[in-house]
Amino acid sequence: MLALIFKNFIRSKGTKVGLLFVFVIGFISLLIGQQFQQKQHKNITEAAVYQKEHIARNASFHKDEMGLLLYYVKFSLVNKTFPLNSLAIGQRDVNPSIQSVTIRGVEAQKYDSELNNPNNLLLGNLDFSFVLIYIFPLLIIAFTYNIVSEEKESGTWKIVASQSDNTFLYILKLFYIRILSLLALLTIILVVAVILLNIPFDSSLLTFYIISILYILFWFAVCFFIVSLQKNSNFNSVILLTVWLFLIIILPATINTYIVNKYPVPEALELTLKQRNAYHEKWDMDKKTTMDKFYSHYPQFKSYILPDTEFSWLWYYAMQQMGDDESAKQSQELQTKLKQRNEASQMIAQFIPTLHTQIQLNEIAKSDFENQLLFIQKTTAFHEKTRLYFYPKIFDNAPVAKENWSKFRVETFEDNSETSLSKSFLPLVFINLAFIALGWMNFKKEKQII
Amino acid sequence: MSLHVENLIAQHFRKSVFKNLATYIITFFIGILLIYAVLSGWKNYINQNETSEKYQHESREDWLKNPDKNPHRMAHYGNFAFRKSTSLSVFEFGMEPFFGNAIFLEAHKQNTANFSEAGFSNSMLRFGEISTAMVLQILLPLLIFFLGFNSVAAERENGTLKLLLSQGISWKQLLLGKILGIASVIMMLFIPAILVLVFIWLLLQNFAVSFDETLKMILFIVFHFLYLLFFCAIAVLISASCKTSKKALVSLIGIWLVFTIILPRTTQAIGAYIYEAPSKIKFNSDIEKDILKQGDSHNPNDSHYKAIKDSLLAVHKVDSVQKLPFNYSGFIMTEGEKISSNIYNKHLKNLLQVYEKQNSFSRAVSFLNPYIAMKNLSMALSNTDYDSYIDFQKQAETYRYNMAQKMNALQIKYISNKKDKPTVIDKDHWAEVQEFHYEPKGVFTVLKNEIISVISLFLWIILLFILIRTASKKLKAI
Repeated sequence: MLALIFKNFIRSKGTKVGLLFVFVIGFISLLIGQQFQQKQHKNITEAAVYQKEHIARNASFHKDEMGLLLYYVKFSLVNKTFPLNSLAIGQRDVNPSIQSVTIRGVEAQKYDSELNNPNNLLLGNLDFSFVLIYIFPLLIIAFTYNIVSEEKESGTWKIVASQSDNTFLYILKLFYIRILSLLALLTIILVVAVILLNIPFDSSLLTFYIISILYILFWFAVCFFIVSLQKNSNFNSVILLTVWLFLIIILPATINTYIVNKYPVPEALELTLKQRNAYHEKWDMDKKTTMDKFYSHYPQFKSYILPDTEFSWLWYYAMQQMGDDESAKQSQELQTKLKQRNEASQMIAQFIPTLHTQIQLNEIAKSDFENQLLFIQKTTAFHEKTRLYFYPKIFDNAPVAKENWSKFRVETFEDNSETSLSKSFLPLVFINLAFIALGWMNFKKEKQII
Repeated sequence: MSLHVENLIAQHFRKSVFKNLATYIITFFIGILLIYAVLSGWKNYINQNETSEKYQHESREDWLKNPDKNPHRMAHYGNFAFRKSTSLSVFEFGMEPFFGNAIFLEAHKQNTANFSEAGFSNSMLRFGEISTAMVLQILLPLLIFFLGFNSVAAERENGTLKLLLSQGISWKQLLLGKILGIASVIMMLFIPAILVLVFIWLLLQNFAVSFDETLKMILFIVFHFLYLLFFCAIAVLISASCKTSKKALVSLIGIWLVFTIILPRTTQAIGAYIYEAPSKIKFNSDIEKDILKQGDSHNPNDSHYKAIKDSLLAVHKVDSVQKLPFNYSGFIMTEGEKISSNIYNKHLKNLLQVYEKQNSFSRAVSFLNPYIAMKNLSMALSNTDYDSYIDFQKQAETYRYNMAQKMNALQIKYISNKKDKPTVIDKDHWAEVQEFHYEPKGVFTVLKNEIISVISLFLWIILLFILIRTASKKLKAI
């Protein structure tokens, strides 16, 4: 029986075209992911080369003054791109994956944006997560909206009903075949992805796969429920498309607009202005005030006494430091606000499977906003470490040539935060079960499906 | 020409639509969404502009408050360019969430536009936003398709089509009548919505609107009107050419998906795939290398600057730069700023060319896809398109360059070469640098830039007339 149902399903021209279309677009998404991966890789290799050249060049120009040299020299930190990232590019196209900072004030540097074509950002990436979240449901709807209703409309349902003792089981089998076909398609695309993108077999990939399966099952559950209402094909298709429209466009967009308006971030501009003034006003202030503040932040540098000259690098970097220190409050407020934003959207997303899947896939791929916030944090720590290393050398005016510059390679930050499995899976599992149960009840209510 | 028959058909269609409860539900729902879209657009606009004005003002005050100091210190103190939205952006957000909102403008350095909405959001933003334009451009066409899929097909299915045609009604009259019918239903939503939009738009500007803004608003309305009519015609044509209403529905849904979801993303992705843009780190490094090739003002042995020094000394017949009648380092910085900003602009031009090429695909596709044509046009009118953003960045860069050179000029004029003389100038000079003011593109520039979209929308309309004509001759009742 199953074999026959399968044959019947796969023989239809629409089925083949649909499966082929999704496979092709899935494959294209992998090529785009591959290009993204290569580009990221190239950037990182180039960054290493540039940094080496850049330091060497500047070190040869400013051999006599450590302070002046470090005014110019930039050190780069890379936010590691995992292979899985190519499947869910997320926010990695908006945010820079490499931050280059001098040891001057960090607040003026850490929010520097990537060079971007806003048109690309607006229309979005055609990555695998897009194919999964947008396109797969369309195929699922196309494959299932007319189960039962089509046969009823063409008059063949009565024949089916009379030949089978359990029509409900027959319907389940119809779904079973379709679910298997789509899961097979998903698996094939992911296998190709693993080969093409060198994705390692690890728990991240497994989680990614399971979420994808749950998401596909979610759409089958929705279709199962709609089919259980036993309306005509036109009604089913309109309703299912409306559900799709809601979950993919209207709800996410509405929630997003809500979050943007609920949590505006004027703190960002406040911070920029504050940090500019805090540093620049020190030029016109008593040097002692600046130095006292600097010494109280870093008591270890108290032994460096301000020389009796109009300008000294000790004073200069103390002033730069004040830009950061005195805008610390604004910086903290901004970080808190951004975290609130992220938490609020994640909270709401739990109830909307499309959003939840998107955010979870990005989280696993380390391309979500949380990763970006962490990267900003790490950039600050990286900056602090570099600054503290060089401060004594600047204050001593250590000879530039003595420093082993080759050890300042591009550093890499690896985001190893674990994804909570229950947080990822449970919302989808619950919603799936709810729709299946509702559909089941509908079918059971009407003992005979005619 | 009397349209009596067409009107009758349209009336009949309207009646049948309003008999359906679903129509009320959907219409009510889209109405609610429109209200939400307008309100959130309004709030966003006010937020954005108040913030931007507040900080523009604050930063200006800070600038003026600076005490007497060396002009070069002021060039580093710098200014900000904050982006302001135009009134139409209440209805069309366009690329706004992806635009940086502030650029720090200082000497020697072209900074990035920072703090975009997208940089502060998680990937939820990528699903899009609810704006009035989005409802008009994406949801209303779908509503039109839902209303119109069985406009002719249903008549064919239940046999009334033959009756109609045998009573002397021509295909052309039937098609036009049905189009009018759908259009009249949609207008019941569109016209009140537009009235509200216009009212809010006037309110936002205290009823004092410029000619330019008015023209943009009128074009915004007219083009959306044509765009919606266009979808009414497609719905009827497809419905008439399909055997069953189910087939018509599936085809229309397919067209809608391809137009609004699949084509826009795919074409842009292809453009970005073929023309790869350089990363920031490469872009900056290339600029650094080129500047060093031209001459490094920091390097005392640099041949470019040594030549300048020698010629200056020769012309003024002095033996050291301290004896020059003007400030030497100010002069060198003027030269340096000129060189570095020329090089930067050259690289930027190349980068923008890559972006243009990436965008050329979706621009070209507007001939195949009226949605893209409409979207591009409405973004351009509301100043939220790619060109506007580049324009903002260019205006900011011009301002930055002039500010830096102004400070250099002050240094050349007022600061002595000798170290024992004071190195500061009076703070009154700070006001000589005007405040940054962003001027959005005028309506004619917009139309010129978006000529492809305008042409393609008109071509689409012509095509539809031709299609209606051929369809009236070729369609069969069975």
